[in-house]
Amino acid sequence: MRYNEKELQALSRQPAELAAELGMRGPKKGSVVKRRLVKLVVNFLFYFRTDEAEPVGALLLEHCRVTQEEPSGFSISFIEDPERKYHFECYSEEQCLEWMGALRRASYEFMRRSLIFYRNEIQKMTGKDPLEQFGISEEARFQLSGLKA
Amino acid sequence: MKLNERSVAHYALSNSPADHRGFLRTWGGPGTPPTPSGTGRRCWFVLKGNLLFSFESREARAPLGLVVLEGCTVELAEAPVPEEFAFTICFNAPGVRPYLLAADGPAAQEAWVKVLSRASFGYMRLVVRELENQLRDARQSLALHRHSSWKAGTSSCKTQPPDQLSRGLENGHTLSRDYSPMGLVEAGGSRPAGRNLAECELQGAASLLGRGQSPVSPETSCFSTLHDWYGQEILELRRGWRQRARGSQLKCEQQDKP
Repeated sequence: MRYNEKELQALSRQPAELAAELGMRGPKKGSVVKRRLVKLVVNFLFYFRTDEAEPVGALLLEHCRVTQEEPSGFSISFIEDPERKYHFECYSEEQCLEWMGALRRASYEFMRRSLIFYRNEIQKMTGKDPLEQFGISEEARFQLSGLKA
Repeated sequence: MKLNERSVAHYALSNSPADHRGFLRTWGGPGTPPTPSGTGRRCWFVLKGNLLFSFESREARAPLGLVVLEGCTVELAEAPVPEEFAFTICFNAPGVRPYLLAADGPAAQEAWVKVLSRASFGYMRLVVRELENQLRDARQSLALHRHSSWKAGTSSCKTQPPDQLSRGLENGHTLSRDYSPMGLVEAGGSRPAGRNLAECELQGAASLLGRGQSPVSPETSCFSTLHDWYGQEILELRRGWRQRARGSQLKCEQQDKP
């Protein structure tokens, strides 16, 4: 599958939601922990060698599962292969929990569900559709039916 | 640069909601080999969030390409582009040429430009935060109104100016007595039998929003709260399912929640 790599690289240079040097271990058997600069930008997790400007790789965070593996470590896996895990080591449980929370909120799907929820609640409370002011109330992605998928 | 392509492709093909889809003609850009003629290649495009996937056909089992829609603007294509109903996706990234795409007609062109312009993660985040604030304001107004109406014999509210109270009461809405200021959820037993799964999900979430924690609220920094949030959501859903199962045993459907 082709993808717009240059644009993705440019995205990795944008302000991050969270960035830190973490220990990272790939999903393949026998892979070792490496120090990586890990950067959360929109729904992508970029990881860099600590002295390089271009990322080694990126993980799209849609349909991912974030699991605490140790007090200060978590893993990311994806819905189609939950046992294939990317492992991350933090310096403390606090940092680990911070990352886990941020990663769980980082998907577009998560935001879509939140938006539909808030819209529905506001509509029930005030009788008005808050999306009308944005001119997007008819868009398919914001409909209640979207939650069924 | 590596990318978790297998997961990305799986997401593209999954039944998660697509924000838009349709046939477009494309020239160059990822997912399309250069064609000898100038007419472009007709592909099936699916937009999910900030990700624009292209497929060889509607039935294709793997995406041809992906365009990540961050840091770009979408515009109607200007002359001298000879293509009708064309538009471009222009990126700020250095050394990246605009992607040219063409729809089948003016309505499709307009729809694509509109939806692609609002596809970025940042736009979605802005809208969510705005609604979050609106909901918090509406709840506060509601709580204030309930509080003031509870006070026996008084007609004035001590501290709040009148316009704050009326914000939650636009359109002359009469507040239902079933609303509790903090819970904002109807008791499980009073749910109508025909309530669908989506609304039950929202009901469950509403009871937790009443505690001031939301999935995207900046205050929800504590993991255990998030964990409780999702756990409670599941409990609420299960309660709803059991009620519906009890209520309609003859026509009982299995709800399969992943």
